Amino acid sequence: MSVVDLPRYPFARAGSLGELCSLVHERCASGERTVLLAGGTDFMAEVSQSPRRDGPLPLVVDISRLPELGAIEWDGRTLRLGAGATYRELAEHHAVREHAPLIARMTSDIGGPTIQARGTLGGNLATASPAADGVAALAAYEPTVVLASVRGERKVRMADFHTGYKRTSRADDEIITAIEVAPPPPGSPWHWRKVGTRQAQAIAKVALGAVAALDGTRITRLGLGMASVGPTTALLPKTRALLVDGSPRDVDLAQLDAAVAADISPIDDIRSTGAYRLHVAKALVRELVRSLANL
Amino acid sequence: MIAKVTLTVNGAARTVEAPPLTRLLDALRGPLGLTGAKEGCGEGECGSCAVLLDGVPVNACLVALGQCEGREVVTVEGLGEPRHLAPLQACMAEHGGAQCGICTPGMLIAAESLLRSNAQPSAVEVRRAIAGNLCRCTGYDRIVASVLAAAEALRATRGASVSAGAPVRGAAE
Ligand SMILES: Cc1cc2nc3c(=O)[nH]c(=O)nc-3n(C[C@H](O)[C@H](O)[C@H](O)COP(=O)(O)OP(=O)(O)OC[C@H]3O[C@@H](n4cnc5c(N)ncnc54)[C@H](O)[C@@H]3O)c2cc1C
Ligand code: FES
Ligand code: FES
Repeated sequence: MSVVDLPRYPFARAGSLGELCSLVHERCASGERTVLLAGGTDFMAEVSQSPRRDGPLPLVVDISRLPELGAIEWDGRTLRLGAGATYRELAEHHAVREHAPLIARMTSDIGGPTIQARGTLGGNLATASPAADGVAALAAYEPTVVLASVRGERKVRMADFHTGYKRTSRADDEIITAIEVAPPPPGSPWHWRKVGTRQAQAIAKVALGAVAALDGTRITRLGLGMASVGPTTALLPKTRALLVDGSPRDVDLAQLDAAVAADISPIDDIRSTGAYRLHVAKALVRELVRSLANL
Repeated sequence: MIAKVTLTVNGAARTVEAPPLTRLLDALRGPLGLTGAKEGCGEGECGSCAVLLDGVPVNACLVALGQCEGREVVTVEGLGEPRHLAPLQACMAEHGGAQCGICTPGMLIAAESLLRSNAQPSAVEVRRAIAGNLCRCTGYDRIVASVLAAAEALRATRGASVSAGAPVRGAAE
């Protein structure tokens, strides 16, 4: 799929979510492939970078202005983030800034302003890269992914959505419509740190998102998401078990480091080394614990 | 597959007939005859292809023409005329913000987008606004200086037109 292939792609625009579900379902049933085009920041870049292809190409369906995917809504308990809302729209939305400040903060670390203006959470979740910043930040809220198809709506815990390297439990004919977040009360502590080669236009070597709730000095809720340290976004269950119900001031740092090491499986690749990633992962978790201890 | 796409480009309605997955960048540089936006990388990294799409800065190499039906595109050509440069363009030339010029159209679009929402940006805010635009010539300092100078020039003109329209007493205060 090189850039010279682009003119060969068949293309359609979805008028409504119902129409989109039917179209994708019918194509799946007859064994034909479909690609959804939201911001295009993964798809268009991938096509341009890949070698030329022969043979049939998938139908590309533009979903970038589908109203059902664009909304951001707060109902007093749940923040519903439309899968088609752009990072820029998320950053500017008052309910996101108030109830999920980690998401608003994370958006400013995605690529640069032009990528933030087009890229979406739906695309970030579907591409399912372990380096995805959106997935790491969302994971800290332990959200639910909302999927739609001709069979109706299905909700999956995000922890069960990403099943392997660039793999998800989304059926081929399902559309990601929204991500639902039940945030802790406004003012609850959160933490975001992305380590890359430089501040903009750099994919994470390691990134950590965290959302906590404290009762006095006791940690009562803690959600974690770490990017680029394994085949999927790491949820750091052992680290979390060590911290929840304790005080961040009483943490044994050697135990903490060991828990982080047991939770991740970083590798060497073009962006970094496994050893450096392990070192940074431990440092980022220590930094999180320090910041919770100093509240 | 050929699509007929009607969009507004630099204020004028234009119709392009081309395959729908044609990159907006190729539609602009080819059938639309606007070669201001440049192709540096073709994969979203460099920002030299930046244009405003409905007022928002995007990389034209990552947008499909078929996604642009009914939308409004502003390219660097839409910012000013060769004989009447916009303050941003004039400042970029005056303050050495452009050397080889490959990054300049994208820099101008990123800066235009910033100045539309922030008339008095700090140097850090300028750097954030152009964070997706790579320049291998200037070392960025002169670009930042150019944008800050343009912001000041724009504030001065705006201030002047406001005081020109205001009662004499108000202007004197
Ligand atoms: C220069 C550059 C820098 C980048 N920097 C970062 C970064 O710092 N951090 C980061 O995490 N990512 C980064 N990315 C990757 C990319 O921007 C994000 O993953 C983005 O969220 C993708 O969203 P999109 O809407 O553009 O996806 P698209 O390219 O439109 O789609 C990507 C894939 O997702 C599928 N898809 C899209 N929407 C849905 C949906 N609603 N339901 C089901 N499937 C869907 C599509 O079919 C396609 O296969 C960068 C990309 C570029 C080009
Ligand atoms: S050519 Fe579009 S970002 Fe480089
Ligand atoms: S002036 Fe040459 S790349 Fe910026």
